Amino acid sequence: MRIESIAQFASLQEESRRRAADRRQQIMVCCGTGCLASGSKKVAEAFAEEVAKRGLDASVGMFVKTTGCHGFCERGPLVALLPSGILYTKVKPSNVGQIIDKTVLGGEVIPSLTYKNPADGQRISAYAEIPFYKHQLRVAMRNIGRIDPTDIRDAIAEGAYSGLAKALGEMTPEAVIEEVAIAGQRGRGGAGFNTARKWRSCRRAPGDRRFVLCNGDEGDPHSVLEGMVIGAWAVGAHEGFIYVRDEYPLAVVHLTIAMEQARSYGLLGDNIMGSGFDFDIRISRGGGAFVCGESSALMRSLEGKIGEPRAKYVHSTDKGLFDLPTVLNNVETWAGIGAIIERGGAWFASMGTERSKGTKAFSLVGKVKNTGLIELPMGTTLRRIIFDIGGGILGDRPFKAVQTGGPSGGCVPEALLDLPVDYERLTEAGSMMGSGGMIVMDDRTCMVDVARYFLKFLTEESCGKCVPCREGLQQLLHIFDRLVEGRGRPDDIPAIERLSRGMQLGSLCELGKSAPNPVLSTLRYFRSEYEAHIFGKSCPAGICRELTAYEIVPDLCDGCHACFKACPVNAITGTIKELHRIHHDACISCGACFDVCPTAAIRTFPKVELKTEVV
Amino acid sequence: MTEQPCVDLVKAEAILGKYPPAEPSLIQVLQDVQRAYNYLPCDVLVKVAETLGVPLAHVFSVSTFYKAFALDPQGDTIIKVCTGTACHIRGAGQLVEELTRTLGIGPDQTTGDLKFTVKTVNCVGACAMAPVMIVGDKYWGNAKPARMTKYLGKGKGGDDEN
Amino acid sequence: MPTLTVNGKKVTVGEDAVILDAARCAGVHVPTLCQFDGLEPWGGCRLCVVDMWQQGWDENWFKMVTACNHPVAEGMRVFTSSERVLETRRVVLDLLLARCPETPLIQRIAAEHGISETSYEVNPTPTDCILCGLCTRVCDHIGVSAIASVNRGWGREIAPPFHQAPPDCIGCLACAEICPTRCIPYSEAAGSRRIWDKDFEMLRDPVTGEAVITKAQAEHFARRSGVPQGYFATSDGSKRRVMATTFTKLKVVG
Repeated sequence: MRIESIAQFASLQEESRRRAADRRQQIMVCCGTGCLASGSKKVAEAFAEEVAKRGLDASVGMFVKTTGCHGFCERGPLVALLPSGILYTKVKPSNVGQIIDKTVLGGEVIPSLTYKNPADGQRISAYAEIPFYKHQLRVAMRNIGRIDPTDIRDAIAEGAYSGLAKALGEMTPEAVIEEVAIAGQRGRGGAGFNTARKWRSCRRAPGDRRFVLCNGDEGDPHSVLEGMVIGAWAVGAHEGFIYVRDEYPLAVVHLTIAMEQARSYGLLGDNIMGSGFDFDIRISRGGGAFVCGESSALMRSLEGKIGEPRAKYVHSTDKGLFDLPTVLNNVETWAGIGAIIERGGAWFASMGTERSKGTKAFSLVGKVKNTGLIELPMGTTLRRIIFDIGGGILGDRPFKAVQTGGPSGGCVPEALLDLPVDYERLTEAGSMMGSGGMIVMDDRTCMVDVARYFLKFLTEESCGKCVPCREGLQQLLHIFDRLVEGRGRPDDIPAIERLSRGMQLGSLCELGKSAPNPVLSTLRYFRSEYEAHIFGKSCPAGICRELTAYEIVPDLCDGCHACFKACPVNAITGTIKELHRIHHDACISCGACFDVCPTAAIRTFPKVELKTEVV
Repeated sequence: MTEQPCVDLVKAEAILGKYPPAEPSLIQVLQDVQRAYNYLPCDVLVKVAETLGVPLAHVFSVSTFYKAFALDPQGDTIIKVCTGTACHIRGAGQLVEELTRTLGIGPDQTTGDLKFTVKTVNCVGACAMAPVMIVGDKYWGNAKPARMTKYLGKGKGGDDEN
Repeated sequence: MPTLTVNGKKVTVGEDAVILDAARCAGVHVPTLCQFDGLEPWGGCRLCVVDMWQQGWDENWFKMVTACNHPVAEGMRVFTSSERVLETRRVVLDLLLARCPETPLIQRIAAEHGISETSYEVNPTPTDCILCGLCTRVCDHIGVSAIASVNRGWGREIAPPFHQAPPDCIGCLACAEICPTRCIPYSEAAGSRRIWDKDFEMLRDPVTGEAVITKAQAEHFARRSGVPQGYFATSDGSKRRVMATTFTKLKVVG
């Protein structure tokens, strides 16, 4: 049914809400990438079969739906129940009958399926009480986990497109930009540029044809679409593109379905909501190039060219895609717009810090107990994120650092755990917000190896146009290859610093300019590790293989044989219940034995000490 | 170009028919070609250049710039090991090594019998399940080197537990 | 017509001028590698970086930009040899010298900046190609696009499609002539030219018999310009003789 007026939209919204209310018992099975990998599809099918078989949809309004990522991927498959608000974790198809009978129909919690808080061993059944969710404040992610991304009426019931109805029905394009200005929203892709300012520049650019682009994959499709239609209305664009990375086939599927449904309802395409405004979007799949996250490179890719950035002296709001005025925003930026318009810029600005308004989504991963996608007000401290929401370090090992901002960012050490997360503070600390990646690291992480890892990644992603980045990254990698292999030289640190400065000043685009960040931040906070590699030929974290040897501590070994089984090169000998031994000539120092030993009987020591040891 | 066998261009023509015959369609066309032929055959690239009106040199340039494309036939099953940061921290390197030990090939290489190609990819978006390995269409989260033969045995379909 | 200063010297240049134009006007030398008058600036070599201040900025706030493509503005102040500019150029040259240790042009410019040998790891397979892109850019400019950049990052190189004789090449030698390090080889013999592993038949001047131009290039230019092909196959000497004959037939006025 095509919506031909704002009033019609309002009735569709009401009808969708009534339909949602009729679904008195909702069983929401997460089918985001993480849960799918744990087998959630079979769980969803099992529920649907059982409900249909027993006629529970008709009799008690029981409804099974698949949703996008709940965020708590570590504990998948996740099943959330409404109206009870119970969350079950690690659900198997065999649990389905029990869940329906005991919980949905019987109102009883099944303890074994609830979340167990590692901090105190307590079971928590209420979604909203689980620390991972309790501290979150979802704006861009407001509908994720609550709606079926393939059913637009679900999204509409939850408020999707009501911001658009307000914009088209009651506001001028300038008023829309003003509201976004009041919100103070800054781009969520990494650069943190003021959204309203960008839109204003584009609106003022001469010419009839202009574009709005979305850089990014994940996200609730309808929030993103709604945001883009509002943005297109604001800047006067009739064409939009969503650039999806090649590695995310699921995002393309969901987006395509959402767009088709939006079009069929008249929320996208010609004469949107009967307003006379035309705007449509095409999906463009990337070819597999990190550099295409850079806005000018992305535009070249949309033009069918190689992803080579160009100098930004002429802004893309004047000359962007096909040399026409273009607004490029990150997917999370777009996803927040609908809520900003519906609830007002002041509401958004009431959250966050002075210069970083609103909320931000983070991907909390690495050596942390609760990994997943979270959204919080700007200004939340790292400590709260990692320990309260993240549940602390895996295995309760010591925290060492958290890497934020991906390959363009830096590491933040323990001393700065009380840093409130916002654009300025992270930059001051030598890192950056980026798009919200947060990789937690423990004591079994070598910061020199971390820096090398990012350099290796960037050497493969550099487009190769400019000398400082193309040649500089290669030379930095050469230095780091030597460092991790114990062939560091006394002048390596000054050489690294000089080359880094040259890259920061001389590179053409942000990939090259920010490439030294992981190097410089690890050098800033963990200089002693660099010095140990260079002067001591040792890796304090016990990670760099050329510098690290492993041995089994006799008193702690109980002969369980786990190390023997884990060793990929048969370098361990020993019979069950007897002391095992690592043979240094065969050992490749991969650490597999260390990771599995249940009694922590394996220790690392510098390989240089091997020479003096009697083998 | 003369070393490659000729391929059936019918699939390519069907793909080209779906897009406007102009440069902006290039990358989308190449992706469909990659999916249809399992690589980018050179005579297809010549046809693409002709139909879209893009110089052959530019088509070749784009084909070699983006990681999504291969210019040599790929294995029947593509194994992708995610080497994004979260997966790296959780031992993706060990998975790659185990693959080399098991199959005798490294990243961007194909086994002699064209059964498997190993690729490293940057972040598939399942960081909570790190390290992640994708064999064909099947995602394996929390992957362990010791279970490699299990992952390689079950190429496609199903979503069993790890 | 904006007025700006370059190293303190005041110049006035055209509206569409870039900083490099202003520097030339002021008689200030800014080194370049990937810049060529008549071709769109590319900004890839980064050798022409300068420090720049614009009106409205804090007195001590400078931005390092490439002179070849940054537009000028009224009241702009440009500094072409501040310490950080010189240091950045040195890093660029140091890196290039590691990539191209045996290339005279790079050795010379590096030496001019005080670098006699690279402080980085030398390229195990030295090349003369500095990846300035001039060859591909001129080839695109004349509407041929026979060669392009291949791969990305450190493995990037200039090559014809499939590393084989490029079907679109017209043998005009623009790429070979524009290359600053002369690293594109070609040969000519017996009325034939060879470049990029492709052989070209050459058209001869009808009077003198000298090989003047490849057939393919003459056809390309004739198609693009509407000028008969025969014009392009005339040697310079013949053209001069024709003009001399023409002049004799003119009536001198005045």
